[in-house]
Amino acid sequence: MSDTSDAQDTAVRLTDIGKRFPGVIANDQVNVTVRHGTVHALVGENGAGKSTLMKILYGVQKPDSGTIEVDGRQVSFSSPADAIAAGIGMVFQHFMLADNLTVLENVVLGAEKLYGSGDRARRRIHELATSYGFDLDPDRLVEDLGVGDRQRVEILKVLYRGARTIILDEPTAVLVPQEVDELFENLRGLKAEGLTVLFISHKLDEVLAVADDVTVIRRGRTVTTVDPKQTTARQLAELMVGSELPSPSTETSTVTDVVALSVRDLSMFDPQGGRDLLTDVSFDIRRGEVVGVAGVEGNGQAELVEAIMGMRKVQGTIALGDEDVANWSTARRRESGIGYIPEDRHRHGLLLDAPLWENRMLGHQTREPNRKGPFIDRGGARADTERIVEAYDVRTPSIDTTARALSGGNQQKLIVGREMSSEPLLLIASHPTRGVDVGAQAAIWDHIKTARREGLAVLLISADLDELIGLSDTIHVMLRGRLVGTVDPQTVTPEQLGSAMTGAEVPA
Amino acid sequence: MRFDVRRAALTLAAPLLAIIFAVLVTSLVLAVAGDPVGEVWSTIFSKPKPRNIVNIINSGSVLYLSALAVAVGFRMNLFNIGVDGQYRLAAFVAAYVAGEAWLPGKLNVVFSIVVAIAVGAIWAGIAGLLRVTRGVSEVISTIMLNSIATYLVAYLLRQVSAKGTNNIHTNDIPVSSQLAGFKIVPDAPIAVYTLSLLAVVAAVFYWLLLNRTVFGFNLRATGQSESAAVASGVNVKKMIIVSMLISGGIAGLIGMPLLFGDSYNYGLTFQTGLGFAGIAVALLGRNNPIGIAFAALLFAFLNEQSNALQLTAGVSNDIVNIMQGVIVLSVVVAYEVVRRYNNAAEQRRVAAQLESTRQPEEVAA
Amino acid sequence: MRRSTKFAAVLTAGILSVALTACGGGSDNKNSANDTGSSGGKSDIKVGMAYDIGGRGDQSFNDMAAAGLDKAKSEFGIKTSESEATPDEAESAKEDRLIQLADAGYNPVIAVGFAYSEAVGKVAKQYPDVKFAIIDDTANTDKNVTNLVFAEEQGSFLVGAAAALKSKAGHIGFVGGVNTPLINKFEAGYDAGAKAVNPSIKIESAYLTQPPDFTGFNDPGKGKTAAEGQFDAGADVVYHAAGGSGLGVFQAAKAAKGLAIGVDSDQYLTASADLQPFILTSMIKHVDVAVYNFIKSVKDGDPLTGTVTFDLKAGGVDFSTSGGQVDDIKSKLDDFKKQIIDGTIKVPTTVK
Repeated sequence: MSDTSDAQDTAVRLTDIGKRFPGVIANDQVNVTVRHGTVHALVGENGAGKSTLMKILYGVQKPDSGTIEVDGRQVSFSSPADAIAAGIGMVFQHFMLADNLTVLENVVLGAEKLYGSGDRARRRIHELATSYGFDLDPDRLVEDLGVGDRQRVEILKVLYRGARTIILDEPTAVLVPQEVDELFENLRGLKAEGLTVLFISHKLDEVLAVADDVTVIRRGRTVTTVDPKQTTARQLAELMVGSELPSPSTETSTVTDVVALSVRDLSMFDPQGGRDLLTDVSFDIRRGEVVGVAGVEGNGQAELVEAIMGMRKVQGTIALGDEDVANWSTARRRESGIGYIPEDRHRHGLLLDAPLWENRMLGHQTREPNRKGPFIDRGGARADTERIVEAYDVRTPSIDTTARALSGGNQQKLIVGREMSSEPLLLIASHPTRGVDVGAQAAIWDHIKTARREGLAVLLISADLDELIGLSDTIHVMLRGRLVGTVDPQTVTPEQLGSAMTGAEVPA
Repeated sequence: MRFDVRRAALTLAAPLLAIIFAVLVTSLVLAVAGDPVGEVWSTIFSKPKPRNIVNIINSGSVLYLSALAVAVGFRMNLFNIGVDGQYRLAAFVAAYVAGEAWLPGKLNVVFSIVVAIAVGAIWAGIAGLLRVTRGVSEVISTIMLNSIATYLVAYLLRQVSAKGTNNIHTNDIPVSSQLAGFKIVPDAPIAVYTLSLLAVVAAVFYWLLLNRTVFGFNLRATGQSESAAVASGVNVKKMIIVSMLISGGIAGLIGMPLLFGDSYNYGLTFQTGLGFAGIAVALLGRNNPIGIAFAALLFAFLNEQSNALQLTAGVSNDIVNIMQGVIVLSVVVAYEVVRRYNNAAEQRRVAAQLESTRQPEEVAA
Repeated sequence: MRRSTKFAAVLTAGILSVALTACGGGSDNKNSANDTGSSGGKSDIKVGMAYDIGGRGDQSFNDMAAAGLDKAKSEFGIKTSESEATPDEAESAKEDRLIQLADAGYNPVIAVGFAYSEAVGKVAKQYPDVKFAIIDDTANTDKNVTNLVFAEEQGSFLVGAAAALKSKAGHIGFVGGVNTPLINKFEAGYDAGAKAVNPSIKIESAYLTQPPDFTGFNDPGKGKTAAEGQFDAGADVVYHAAGGSGLGVFQAAKAAKGLAIGVDSDQYLTASADLQPFILTSMIKHVDVAVYNFIKSVKDGDPLTGTVTFDLKAGGVDFSTSGGQVDDIKSKLDDFKKQIIDGTIKVPTTVK
């Protein structure tokens, strides 16, 4: 549809964009036409080429081939400054704000030429904020703002610099559902004022909720542009992966009566003297059960995981099977059957510069097949790594490749394979599919479900509420270090769960 | 990938380029200072005489031990700057013990070496303990311990030495415990220290420990990512203490070849500064037991060959320190460049390989 | 590895700065090395000189030895070659230095400083036909080694007496460069001399570094800090036996309006004009005389042998009178001098 629109209608047109990095084709014949005054979503798996394309549009990188037209004129950007001059602004996933400055100062910083830094600037910011429905106090310090407000400051910065087309890179990744709704409200406000929004995401429900057009990118190419009103999330996902998808939902319950993990009255004090990080957390996980923990990030989920893993000091009892493991070392807990998929695989799950087979040993270096007395069993570890690579479809040329060279999804598959390989009693899966492409996500879900059928107990922490609802047998809601309620994943909706996470009443 | 020729070539190219670069920089310094550039290089790169070869092997083996002691720490991101103090204190105590000759002949040697290892380990262990219990950076504590070792040795040396001479030292080791060395270089009037063998033993120990044991795996994992090591169940505090003990123990060996093969006592003129030289050698050798061997020999070669500079070219042999400094700095830069290049190359290769396997799927889609 | 990258940069910067400064000093020798003296008479003896760390230009001990060499060179027209030790060098490097000189036909070879003690012992045995001399060491008894030593305690006794006589507070100080037995001798004589004048005198004592850290001989900053501490504690005369660090002692004396006593050479003569008023006297250690006398004896075919002690009697040590600040007490000092020479006063060599 949009391909046929004429120049007046078109804010940005990308034609046959190609960009190669040595050995990798990031973009190849990318064609996107963005209509004026619309929210245009760009979806694709991680590594599909979305970010490269946006960097090209924002002048960070130059395309090898193809043309960019803005408002019907062909342009060539050699820096973001050129893009800004042409009315294109970008809000990155990671905010670039000075915490110790006010909203006003942050917005004006680096753009003093436009309206100075005094009353004129203040008036302009006020104008922008009111016309687009941004409720921001220009004199508040950024460090006092929540994530959603910070994002609004970023958008305000871009608007202040005169952008008519705004690129948002995965803007909802850092937001809770309520904040996402507010963001979408803002985007509709921008649209109403005639601005154009380019929205990058892989959260398909959100895309369908807000976008007017959706362009799907797969392996560096634009697959198609669809009308969200006539498309389901499942269809979109299948377009992204190029094949049919499994869904996260669990089948019949496999929950048994045997308690695998029993946590009682877990409390953790803040070494910096702040509010307690965990307060009286108690729950059980039975064999064959997936227990999910829902919560806005920073409410104690990470601390809970680290407490169970023995990485942080904690009060209370942690029983694995019949044994109280509260005073055990991390190594001993792992040896007695806790598998661990960490939240941040780069920090906690991998040695990026070590080969895959050494990464296979990490966390399992004290056990077979990796160990023979005080020595490493290289043969055993290597053979088992080959097995994991095969069984978990880790796409790598060799087990001597360093972990760094793999994509996020393949890194995660290796970790899952490793943690499953010792047949754990309990698996702690912290955001197991974060930053992972749809294909790997489905595979990881499958592995968790299979293991659950075989009696694995799983503690699942996730910010992806669909994942949480789809996989869990029980969901506990965590707020400010406490478990504030339990919901039934069979009946709860993501919206209800989102409300509960922010402290609203928990649905029965 | 198990043996990637291109990767190996790049790894070798880095130090070679660094040496060439260092020669150029040093030439520039010489030229600016108006010193005879040609004579300096012809002296340094002249064919060493047999006695010089022996000296190179001897001081190379001592530097090797020092670099190995440093490298153990480096591999887990611990900076044992205190190797210097550890080896001086260890050499002093061992020299005293050997000089007292409580045990006969070679037993005396073995016992003294054990004492040296223990003293070095304990001295380094203090820094490990401070780090683990009090969070004191090992860089700071080892520097302080160097200074304390200096005072302690100076004080103890005055206590145990004979009076009336300016060059005070511990009692000479009895002749039966002195080691004659190996006359492996023909026509050399001097011998290779018997205890140069310690360098070989330490090298094998180091390689086995780091690459073949679970302990070594934990140590390397901690060095690469402490957070990942903790999550994998490594007790980092224990690792810090044990690695400092090992590092210090190896440091204790540094003075042994000199003590039993050359000076036969510990006095005011016992060689100093080896611990610091070891840091540079470990960096140049990339903490790799073979790399360190080349680096140690290179440094020993440069030191030895520069001795004649004042007489032949009228240039202070400090010029060699400049050259060594430039080598270390440029090689570290070069290694980092190679590392990034290799990372990028590997990522490309992985991507390319996966791309080719995806192709049929693409057609199907 | 990343952390080590940063670390390497710092380390290398350190090495380079040390090396560059050392090189700045070291480049002095290029003028003197390989020089073939031509002024004065003609003699075919070739004198090799191996300095301790710092070498020619250290404003101290090595410079005194160089002065003796220069004097011999201009008078006898001898050929000379010089080389100096570098910090942290191997013992074999010291041996090498002596061997290179001996191999090149230099005879005699003079080693400056007890650091060469073991090297001279080894090399002298390998070269029985070469005459070696070593300054400040008596350890070697080989026939071809001449030990040139000084009675530093005797000269120090005299300046100690001068300090006590000039001190209004009855409180004086001593700053030693490095805490070695050699420097302890200076302190022992100084203490004895001061107490001979005023038995109840209070004496501060400080050493800048401990061996094997010999930087105390070349660190005016440390010298200044140590002397300031002593002046602050109430001392009004401070004697230094700290080589190049002595400059800091003089500066501290100036700041405290106290007095300082120099060492090795007559430091009044080489001090800048603003410091001269604060230099009471200097304990002269005639290393130049020892070097010159030794070379002369070799040239004359009757080399000094064994251990030669340069004491008060031999004029090897003395106190200086430049500046005239000790003119009023000179007779008293000369009196002490006579008593030491005739053996009435025995000066101790170690500090109690």
